[in-house]
Amino acid sequence: MNKLKAIFCIIIPISLAFLFNTKIGSAPPVLKFLNPFMGFWQNAENNHFMFNHKVKIKGALDQVEIVFDDKMIPHIFAQNDHDLYLAQGYVTAMHRLWQMDFQTRFAAGRISEVVVSEPARESDRYQRRMGMVYGAENSLEGMMADPKSKEMILAYTEGINAYIKTLSHANYPLEYKILDFKPENWTPLKCALLLKQMSAILAMGSDEFYMTNILKKFGPEITKNLFPDYPFKEDPIIPVGTKWNFTPLPIPKTPESFTASQTGDVRTKEKVEGIGSNNWALSGSKTASGYPILANDPHLELSLPSIWYQIQLHAPGINTYGVSLPGAPGIIIGFNQRIAWGVTNVAADVLDFYQIKFKDSSHNEYWYNNKWNKTTKRLEVIKIRGSKDLIDTVYYTHQGPVVYLQKANFVKANSVPVGDALRWIAHDRSNELMTFYYLNRGKNYNDYRKALTYYTAPAQNFVFASVDNDIAITPNGKFPLKWKNQGKFILDGTDPAYDWHGWIPASQNPTVKNPPRGFVSSANQSSTDQTYPYYLNWEFSPYERGKRINDRLTTMNKATLDSIRLMQTDNYSILAQNLIPAVIPLLNPENLNATQKEALSYLTKWNKRYDANEIAASIFEIWTKRLAFDIWDDEFTVKGVPMRYPSRDRTVEMILKEPAAKWYDNVNTSQKETLSDLVNESFKYSCDSLERRFGPINKDWSWSNVKQSNVPHLAKIPGFGSKVLQIGGAKSTINALSETNGPSWRMVIELGKNPKGHGVYPGGQSGNPGSKFYDNMLDTWASGQLYDLFYMQTPDDQSGKVISRLKISK
Amino acid sequence: MVFIVIVIICFLLQMIAPWWIIIVVAFATCGIIGKTGKIAFWHSFFAICLLWIGYSLFKSLPNDNLLASRVAVMTGVKLWWALLLVTGILSGLVAGISGYCGYQFRMAMLAKKTDDKIA
Repeated sequence: MNKLKAIFCIIIPISLAFLFNTKIGSAPPVLKFLNPFMGFWQNAENNHFMFNHKVKIKGALDQVEIVFDDKMIPHIFAQNDHDLYLAQGYVTAMHRLWQMDFQTRFAAGRISEVVVSEPARESDRYQRRMGMVYGAENSLEGMMADPKSKEMILAYTEGINAYIKTLSHANYPLEYKILDFKPENWTPLKCALLLKQMSAILAMGSDEFYMTNILKKFGPEITKNLFPDYPFKEDPIIPVGTKWNFTPLPIPKTPESFTASQTGDVRTKEKVEGIGSNNWALSGSKTASGYPILANDPHLELSLPSIWYQIQLHAPGINTYGVSLPGAPGIIIGFNQRIAWGVTNVAADVLDFYQIKFKDSSHNEYWYNNKWNKTTKRLEVIKIRGSKDLIDTVYYTHQGPVVYLQKANFVKANSVPVGDALRWIAHDRSNELMTFYYLNRGKNYNDYRKALTYYTAPAQNFVFASVDNDIAITPNGKFPLKWKNQGKFILDGTDPAYDWHGWIPASQNPTVKNPPRGFVSSANQSSTDQTYPYYLNWEFSPYERGKRINDRLTTMNKATLDSIRLMQTDNYSILAQNLIPAVIPLLNPENLNATQKEALSYLTKWNKRYDANEIAASIFEIWTKRLAFDIWDDEFTVKGVPMRYPSRDRTVEMILKEPAAKWYDNVNTSQKETLSDLVNESFKYSCDSLERRFGPINKDWSWSNVKQSNVPHLAKIPGFGSKVLQIGGAKSTINALSETNGPSWRMVIELGKNPKGHGVYPGGQSGNPGSKFYDNMLDTWASGQLYDLFYMQTPDDQSGKVISRLKISK
Repeated sequence: MVFIVIVIICFLLQMIAPWWIIIVVAFATCGIIGKTGKIAFWHSFFAICLLWIGYSLFKSLPNDNLLASRVAVMTGVKLWWALLLVTGILSGLVAGISGYCGYQFRMAMLAKKTDDKIA
C-alpha cells in the first residue's frame, strides 16, 4: 500500500513535467512557454532604456561600428567589404532571425520539419517538385563563381551564425518558442533559396494550362479575340515611338503543330490581379530643385515582420542606404551619394510547361527529337516532425522537373498541368547579387547599365536617376528568345522546335534614357509598344495605374517631395473613369428600390476616388466584379476544365465597343440577356449584398470598412498582426492597397549635392512582436506620410537621432 | 520556511535550468522539511505563483505589457493580466502538487520503514 503511494507520488510530478513540456496540437508547450525565466516573457523588450553593446566576432577583420537611429535602423560603418556584409548579417539576424529562417524553410520545402499538417506537407512537396532547391543550388554555383559575390555571401552567412551563437533558449525569437523549435545555422544555400522565393512570388504565375483548355473549348478564333496579344488600352513603359538602336537576332520559327493537354478537376477562378508595383523618375527639368526625383513602391502580400529591412552600408568605396531582403546581402532598392534606383515586376513569360510523352509508367524514358531519352531522378527527402521521412521522387527531362504525375490536392497546384515538365528561368545558374553589388556602388548611368547585365530573374523594371540629371528605365532580366506566343499555351515536349532558343542579348532589353517627356515610369504594364522585335509575353498587368502615373507626371512641373508623395497615395481610378459613363446610362431607375436609388445617386456624384470614406467606391467595386462574373462565368466555368476569364482590359473593351456581343447572354437560361440586363442585375446584387452586411446606406458602407485592410503576421498568428486600418486605395489605383496586398515600401529620393531620402514601410525594423519597433512605422505608412531617411556620412554624424551603438571587433 | 526555501532556490536555479526544476525543488524541499500536507501544497503553490508573477512583471512592466497583450490575444484569454494570472496559477498548481507529492512520498517511505521495523 505504501509502496504504491510512493510510486504515485513520483509518477504524478513526472507526468506533470511531461505534460506541460510537450507541444500538443498547435499549442506551444504550456509551462515551457509561460516560464518567465526562459519562455515568452523574456521576449518583452524594455521600451524605455537602450544600451550600447560590444561584441567580439572571430572572423571580423577590423573594427565595425553600428549606429542605431531612433527608428532602430542600423547604419554600418566598416573598414572593408567583408566586415560590411558580416555586420549586415549580424544585425539582420538580431532583428529578423525567425523570419529569415522560416521563409527559407518554406522556400526549401521544409515546413513539415516544424509544423505538422496536411497543407504544410503539400506545400513542401510543391516547393520541392517545382524545383526550388534545384534552382537554388544552381544559383548558388553562380554566386560562388565570382569572388566578389562569394565574399559577400560568405561574410553575410558568418555574421548571421555569429549572432545565432550568442543565443540561449531564453533569448530565442518568440516564434521559436510558440512553434517549439530551435534556430539552425545559416548556410549560403539559404541566401540563394530566399532569392528563388522572390522569383517564385513574382515570376511563377502561369496561365498556359487554363489557356490550353480555353483553346480546346472555344477554338483559335475566339481565343484570339478574347485573349488578344496586345491590350485594347495601353500606355507602355518604354514610351511609344522609342526607336530600337540595335539589329535584332533572328526570331525562331513558329512550329506548325500545336498541342493541347489533358485536364484536371479544378474550378475556374476569376483572374486575380497579379502582384504589382510603381516606380518613376523625373528629370531635373520637371522638378523644383533642378535635380531628379525618383520614387518606388513595390506591392507585395504584406506581412509582419516587415518584408523589407532598412539599412545603411558604409565602407571604403560604398555608402548606400535603402531596403534589403532579410536573408540576402546588399541593398535591393535605395540610393547613394550620386544615384538612386528602384524596381517593379516585369510579367515576362519565363515559365513554360511542356507536355511529355513517357515510354511507360516507370517514367524512365521520354520521347524527344524522334528518340527515347533518359529522365534523371531527384529524390526529395521531406523530414516530418515526429514521424517517418517522406521520400518523393521527381523526374527531370532536359526541360526541367515533371512537377506532378498525379493531381495534387493543393491550391497552388491548380495551375500546374499533370504530367508536364517545367522550364523556368529560376532553375538556371545566375548571380543577381552582382547587380546589387554594382548598383550599391554605382556613380552614373554607365554603372547602372553594367550592373543590369548580371541580372537574371525575377525580371524587374529597373528605374534609375543620377545627380548628372540622367534618368532611365529598363525592363530587365534574362529573357528567352521565343517565337511569338511561345508559352501562351502548353508546349509540345517532344519537338525541339518548342525549346527555348537562346536569349535576348542583355543590351537589347527594352530601355530608354532621358526621353523627351522628362520622366520615366512603370506600373507592370506592357514593356513596349508593338514595334519591339522580340516576344516577352502576350499579357501584362492592366494599364490603369501606369496611365494615371503618366497622366499626372505629364502635367507636373516644379515637382517637390510633397507632390510625389501625394501621388504615391493617389486613389483615383482610371477604371471608374472608363466604365462609369458607359454603365450608368444602362441602369433602369424605375426598377430600383429605395436603397438602390440612393446608391445610384452616390455613384453619379462620385469623384472616382477609392478614398477611405467613399461609399460609391464600395458599390462600384462589387458591381464591376459581379458584372465580369455575369458576363463570363456561364461560359468559362466548366466542371473539370480549369480556365480563366478574359482580362479586365478585354472586358472593358467589349462593354464600351461591342454592345451586342454574344457573351452577354447567359447560356444557362432560355431567354436572351443583354448587356443592360447584366448591368442592372449586378448593380442590384452589389447594393443588396452591402445592405445585407451593413443595413441601409450608412457609414459602414465606406470603402475602407468594406475592404478591411490589415497587415497579418507571416505565420498568421492571431494577435501578432496589425489592427484593421481605415485607409483607401485599390488594386487599379496608384495606391494599390487591397485587403492585405499593397505598397510594402514607399520611397522618394531627391537627388542633389546631398541626396535626401524619404521612406516608410508598414511595420518596423524589429521582427519581435514584443518590441515597440515591431510596428512603429505602421500609422505613418497608413496616413501616407514618409520619414526622412538618415543618410549618415560618419558614425558621429549629428544630423539624426541616435539611440544606441554596437561595436564589433575581432 | 518551505516558502522561503523554494523561492530562493528556484529563483537561482531558474536562471540556468528549465522550468520543470520547480517540480524537482518543490518535491525535494517538501520531502525534506515539509511539516504537513497542507503546508507542502500551499507554501509550494504560493512560492512559485508569486515568483513567476513577480518575474513576469519584472520583464513585462518596462515593456508596457505590449507583448503580454499580443500573446493574450493569441492564447484567447484576451487581457494581459489574465495571462499573468494563468502563468501564476498554473505554475503554482504544478509546484503545489509536486510539493504535496514530495511530502506524501516521505510519509510513505517513513511508514514503510516503521512497517519494516515492526515486521
